[in-house]
Amino acid sequence: MSVVKLIAPAGLLLAGGSPSHAGDVKAGGAKAMMCQACHGLDGLSKTPDAPNIAGQIEPYLVMQMQAFKSGLRKNDAMSVVMPPLSDKDIEDLAAYFSAIEIKIVRVPGE
Amino acid sequence: MNLRLKIAAAFLPLAAWPAAAQQQPPSPAPSALETLGAMRPTGSTAEWPEIPQTGAKADKVKENLKKVKLPAGFHISLYALVPDARHISVGPQGVATFVGTRKSKVWVVTDRSRGGVGDEVKEFAPTLPKKIPNGPCFSKDGFLYIAEQNRVLEYPAAEFFYESPDVVASVVVAEGELIPKSEESYNHTARVCRVGPDNKLYIQLGQPYNVPTKEKNELYRKLGIGGIIRMDRDGKNREVYAIGLRNPVGMDFNPKDRSLWTNDNQVDGMGDDQPPGELNRIASAGLDFGFPWYGGGKVRTNEYKTDTPPANVVFPQVEQAAHAADLGLIFYTGTMFPQKYRGAIFSAQHGSWNRTVPVGARLMVTFLKDDGQVAGKSEPFAEGWNENGYYLGRPVDVAQLADGSLLVSDDLVGALYRIWYDGK
Repeated sequence: MSVVKLIAPAGLLLAGGSPSHAGDVKAGGAKAMMCQACHGLDGLSKTPDAPNIAGQIEPYLVMQMQAFKSGLRKNDAMSVVMPPLSDKDIEDLAAYFSAIEIKIVRVPGE
Repeated sequence: MNLRLKIAAAFLPLAAWPAAAQQQPPSPAPSALETLGAMRPTGSTAEWPEIPQTGAKADKVKENLKKVKLPAGFHISLYALVPDARHISVGPQGVATFVGTRKSKVWVVTDRSRGGVGDEVKEFAPTLPKKIPNGPCFSKDGFLYIAEQNRVLEYPAAEFFYESPDVVASVVVAEGELIPKSEESYNHTARVCRVGPDNKLYIQLGQPYNVPTKEKNELYRKLGIGGIIRMDRDGKNREVYAIGLRNPVGMDFNPKDRSLWTNDNQVDGMGDDQPPGELNRIASAGLDFGFPWYGGGKVRTNEYKTDTPPANVVFPQVEQAAHAADLGLIFYTGTMFPQKYRGAIFSAQHGSWNRTVPVGARLMVTFLKDDGQVAGKSEPFAEGWNENGYYLGRPVDVAQLADGSLLVSDDLVGALYRIWYDGK
C-alpha cells in the first residue's frame, strides 16, 4: 500500500528502543477491510461517529481495542467488532493504522 | 405557527421589513430558526461557496464509474459531486434536488444547463444550523420536510426559496421531541421521511442499540423507536405506524396499493452470514416486524432467545444478504425504462461495515407480482463499487428525476450518479 511508509531510525533500534508491539503492517492492512466503512483504509473517518486513526499512537490503539474487546470500553460498533479478534489481529491492525503517515497542514490561529 | 398563511402574505411586503428589523436591540438574540420563521433575514454575510464540479476528483470518479455494470441499454454517469451525500429528494417542479447528510449540512443540486448534470451544488439554507439532517422529503405541493436527528422542519416552497441563503422554515417536531433527549445516539440515527398518499408525514426511527435491553425495548415500542411513526404535516396526531424494526433507513409507498415498503438493517455480531437483511411490506397500520425477538428474517437473537415473540409477527418479503445494509428505496413510476421495470422497487445496498469480506455496495431491483407481493429475490441492477472488498463507492439512496432516469447517492465518494436508458 503506497500510503504506508515505515520509518525505523537505525539509531533508535541500536539503542534498544525495540517496538513493544509485534504487529505486522501488511497483515493489518488486509484485516482493515472490516474497519474501512467507518475509519477508512486511509485511517480517516468516513462517518460522523468514528474518529480518525491514521498515524495514531500504536500502543494506544492496542490498549483501546483491547478495552473494547474486554468490555471495559463500550461502543455500539466497536463492542460488536472487537470480541472475535485475537491479540495478534489487534496488534496487526494497530501496526497498520499507526503506520499511516499524516501531516499537519495548518493549526488554527497560526 | 401557520406558515402557509404567512407565506402567501409574505410575497407582497418583502421589501418592507429590513429597516425595522435593523433597529431592534441585539439582545436577546433570536435563533436563526425564530428569525427565519418570522420571515426575517438573518443578515448573514458568510460566504456561500459552490462545490467545484471539475478537477482531479471528478475525473477519478468518472473513471471508476466505468467499472459499474448495468443491464444492456442502461448507462451511468456522474451527476454531481455532493459531499457526504445521503438521502435524496427531487423537487416536484424538477428544478432542484435536495440531498441530506449525516453531518450538519443539506445540499441543493441544480441542473442549470438543463443537460442531465447537476452543475451547481450549494448548501441549502446555510444560515440555519442542522444536526444530522439525513432525510429530506417533499410533499406534492412543494413543501420540503427534513428529518434531523431529533427535529423535523418544514421548508415551504423550498424550490423557490433555496436561491437565497435565508430560507423560511417552521417547526413540525421541535428539537428534542422526535425522541426523548436521553435516547439520542449517533448510532442508527439517520432518519428518512415520506409524505404518504394520506398526506401524512411518515418518519423512520432506528433504535440505537445492536439489540436493546428489555427495559429499553418496552419504552421504544411505545414511542415507535425501532419503527415508523406518522403525523399530520403540522406535527399533530403523532402515532406509531409500524413497530418491531431495528434500523429502517429507506421506505416508499407502492402507488398501486398504497402499501409502505421498508428496508431494515439487522443484528450485528452473529457471524458473517446471518441474520439476513430485510425488505418488508407494511400493508396497514399497527403491524409488528418482530425485532428484537428476531434479529433478521426468522433468526432469533441470543438476547431474546427464550422469550416468546409477539403474536402475528410479519416476516420479510425478501431476505437480503447478511449485513449488506439495504438503505434507500423507491417504486419506479417513470416511463424511460423498459416495461418490466415499471412498478418495480429500486433499492440501494450500502455495503457491509464490519463483515470480514465486505458484501453489497450496489443497486438492487425487486419485481412485484400483480397481487402486490414480491415475484422473487432482489437482483443486482448496478454493481461494481465493491472491488474484491475495497469500496469504490457506497450507494445510499435512489431517487427518480422527472425524465424517468434515476439518481443514486454515494456517501463514501460524496457524489450523485445518474442512471438512464436509451436501449443502446
